[in-house]
Amino acid sequence: MNRVAEASLIAGAAVLAALGVAIANLSAGGSVDAQVALTFISFLVAWGGFWITVRRLAPGANPYLLPLASLLSAIGIAEIYRLNPALGSLQRWWLLTAAALGSLTIFWLRRGTTVLRRYRYLLLLIGLVLLLAPLLPGSWPLGGVSVNGSRLWLRLNLWEGSSIRFQPGELAKLALIVFFASYLAERRHALREVHRRIGNLELPEPRQLMPLVAAWLVSLIVIIYERDLGASLLLFAVFIAMLYMATGQGIFPAAGVGLFALGAVGAFQAFDHVRRRYDAWTAPFEDFEGAGYQIAQSLFAMGSGSIAGSGIGLGRPDLIPSAATDFIFAAIAEETGFVGAVGVLIGYALLIAAGFGIAVRSRDPFRKLLAAGITTVMGVQTILIVGGVTRLLPLTGITLPFMSYGGSSLLANTIGLSLLLVVSQEEHR
Amino acid sequence: MNRSIRLVAASIYLFFGLLVLTLTYVQVIKGPEFRDDPRNPRLLASRAGRERGPIIARDGQLVATSVEVATQTGAFERRYPFGSLYAHPVGYATFLFAERGLEAERSSDLSSSRNLTFSGMIDELLGRDTDGQGMRLTLAPDVQQAARAGLGEQIGAVVAIEPSTGEVLAMYSSPSFDPNRLVEGDTEYGESINRDLDKPLLDRARAELYPPGSAFKVITTAAALESGTANTQTLFEDVPALALPGSTSTISNFNDALCNGGEPMTLAVAFERSCNTVFGQLGLEMGPDELVDMAEAFGFNQKLGFDLTHIESPIPVDFSGNLAGLAQSAIGERDVRTTPLQMAVIAATVANGGISMQPYLVAETFDRELTVLGSTQPAIRERPVGPGTAAALEELMIKTVNQGTGRGARIEGVQVGGKTGTAQGAGGNPDAWFIGFAKSGDRSIAVAVVVENGGDAGADATGGRVAAPIARDVMAAWVGSP
Repeated sequence: MNRVAEASLIAGAAVLAALGVAIANLSAGGSVDAQVALTFISFLVAWGGFWITVRRLAPGANPYLLPLASLLSAIGIAEIYRLNPALGSLQRWWLLTAAALGSLTIFWLRRGTTVLRRYRYLLLLIGLVLLLAPLLPGSWPLGGVSVNGSRLWLRLNLWEGSSIRFQPGELAKLALIVFFASYLAERRHALREVHRRIGNLELPEPRQLMPLVAAWLVSLIVIIYERDLGASLLLFAVFIAMLYMATGQGIFPAAGVGLFALGAVGAFQAFDHVRRRYDAWTAPFEDFEGAGYQIAQSLFAMGSGSIAGSGIGLGRPDLIPSAATDFIFAAIAEETGFVGAVGVLIGYALLIAAGFGIAVRSRDPFRKLLAAGITTVMGVQTILIVGGVTRLLPLTGITLPFMSYGGSSLLANTIGLSLLLVVSQEEHR
Repeated sequence: MNRSIRLVAASIYLFFGLLVLTLTYVQVIKGPEFRDDPRNPRLLASRAGRERGPIIARDGQLVATSVEVATQTGAFERRYPFGSLYAHPVGYATFLFAERGLEAERSSDLSSSRNLTFSGMIDELLGRDTDGQGMRLTLAPDVQQAARAGLGEQIGAVVAIEPSTGEVLAMYSSPSFDPNRLVEGDTEYGESINRDLDKPLLDRARAELYPPGSAFKVITTAAALESGTANTQTLFEDVPALALPGSTSTISNFNDALCNGGEPMTLAVAFERSCNTVFGQLGLEMGPDELVDMAEAFGFNQKLGFDLTHIESPIPVDFSGNLAGLAQSAIGERDVRTTPLQMAVIAATVANGGISMQPYLVAETFDRELTVLGSTQPAIRERPVGPGTAAALEELMIKTVNQGTGRGARIEGVQVGGKTGTAQGAGGNPDAWFIGFAKSGDRSIAVAVVVENGGDAGADATGGRVAAPIARDVMAAWVGSP
């Protein structure tokens, strides 16, 4: 794919976003106004600027990633604007910020990803601190905030009555993946080769399982103290996947599933919030007024959309709680129907295919694992939240990459995208 | 490493495949079921914006109307010109607070289907009628106003029925609420009436149960007369308290007084003085079957055929080994509970010669050109007593108003009959009842009034003092007072 095609696809995404905003305006009885132009311009500036940076600093980077990510974010921003115009305009600022940070990442790593390996323990520390930062007392200037029972926000008081809120877990995810990739790239042989035999079974040395157990414990802490099932599950799943990709040892996913089951049963026994999630998953209509409300509203929305959807601005996705964040997929599925929902999934499938393609083509274990890890996190995150809102899986409140409203998520995913681009550039050399 | 990376990728795609299957199930296979689920707020929300047919009172006065929302072409909002006056029977259709009352129960008839549903579009293409229907109610504005004015700030309800047809002339529950503020989406108001301990949203006329107290003696008397246990001239001892078999409790009279100075009295005198001991004894004499059968014939333990949802008024059916309970039930206490609607049906049945008509609220439906689409024909619900018994009951009730406990309901120049009740209610003070009828020329009206917890009179409340004057005003609004 040549640059012109890549650029025109990105411009096409900008047109799509502007068109979505225009349709949302028209169906609400309004007219084509400045919001349409603003959306188009900020989209062009954000993704176009990002594209220019990539073309300048990483000319050999994979050409599919930016068009796909911009397409998904175009659909997302149109739906967010349709749900809540105020959030839509905020998201434009987040988009510009994310693109700027993505470009900075490209600039920082223009000579390759080696610098990341050098700082891996610093990254581990940053990752853990970010992950656990929401546990800081809420009364501190920089403190944690609970939202809907989960404590995964960090609030920084700027001045009297003004503060910034951020979900540090999103960035923690990235830092930890970089650490895992670097750690596993170095230790994969040891993890693979040291094992003991019991009969026909080849089992790893117990101490080789220590990293696995450590990751499991961190995940449990996140569940217990932050009540964040989504982040906990995501981290653990990605870690196991990376362990498996690094070593090719089936024992790791097997042990991981075992530990997960243990953790899940334990959490179910111990915590009300886990039990409620489980009940809401198995029988949302039994507790329609309570725990099952969200998921029931999501099913009503998607069912009402049926095959062709109600049309942008013509459905009632605003009736779903958290429609712009966790339930953005249900909102899109209502208004664009089964057809649009599957289209969005295909978009993610292609993005993930591009990511794994980069990993497979990479010749360096660290970069391989880095690309595969970032791609896995995007894939698992998509599965968890889409599975959650469609009731395939229990609902875990996490964001849909590039689509959900929210700065933290968009920032982290855009930086992750930059890392993928840098890795693909490195292989090109 | 590439092998394991490909395997991870493959497992992610496996899940993507499962997601597509799940979407197929949720959106394609189960889609219509979710869409049409009554709990799906889209149904209400889509109806909330549609134009609805008007609801008018008996005389054509506009009770509910749809107006186009100023900011949005093609979207409509309900307006209730009389605010809280018709709020309980008519209810509301709103965007935020869904629907209630007639607006909810006849929602699909009232609302236009044009442009908003697929079948509505087809109907329009085919030239079928997609307008919402208008409805004319049986409610008479003057009578409804009198009910509201009579209750004032007191908690209670009034139901008035035209005895020969069953048309509901008034149905008012106090306190009421303003449906217009719910249409406006005033969430603070919505929450406040939801939280209010006086339950303004509750339609006491058809959805609240009260002990009927002495007003129930109409049924006890009907059962005694119809079964031959007694006639109006049968003499009864005047005792200060009636000992109840198999129990240490007794039945005594109001203020523990004698009814007739200790002298024997006729059933007629006992009725107009509402003598508890006599009716307790009457219940014991006739036995449970006669009493329960008669109550059920008057409508207890069943729906009344009314065209809005209403709850049944319960009376226990098994009094074996519980004769004390039977005697207490015969004076409308113990476990007997009733709705004002049920009590109005009893009064209407007596006034209509023993023929009980089905009460109804919607007189007719009409289209945009005011062509009548359908009208409700009066229907006989039941004949609990013969004309002789009915005439005797009527006579007893007229005497009660002329010279007994119901004097507060007298209207000069109009034949008025009634029965009071002062029941041990849930609050500390008594619930005050009056059920009765008035006839003048070709006009007649039956009414039931209940005032909770003594109303303004508090602990001193009696049916005759608190409820009878309200009933008088309500009846006078229909038959006219000179």
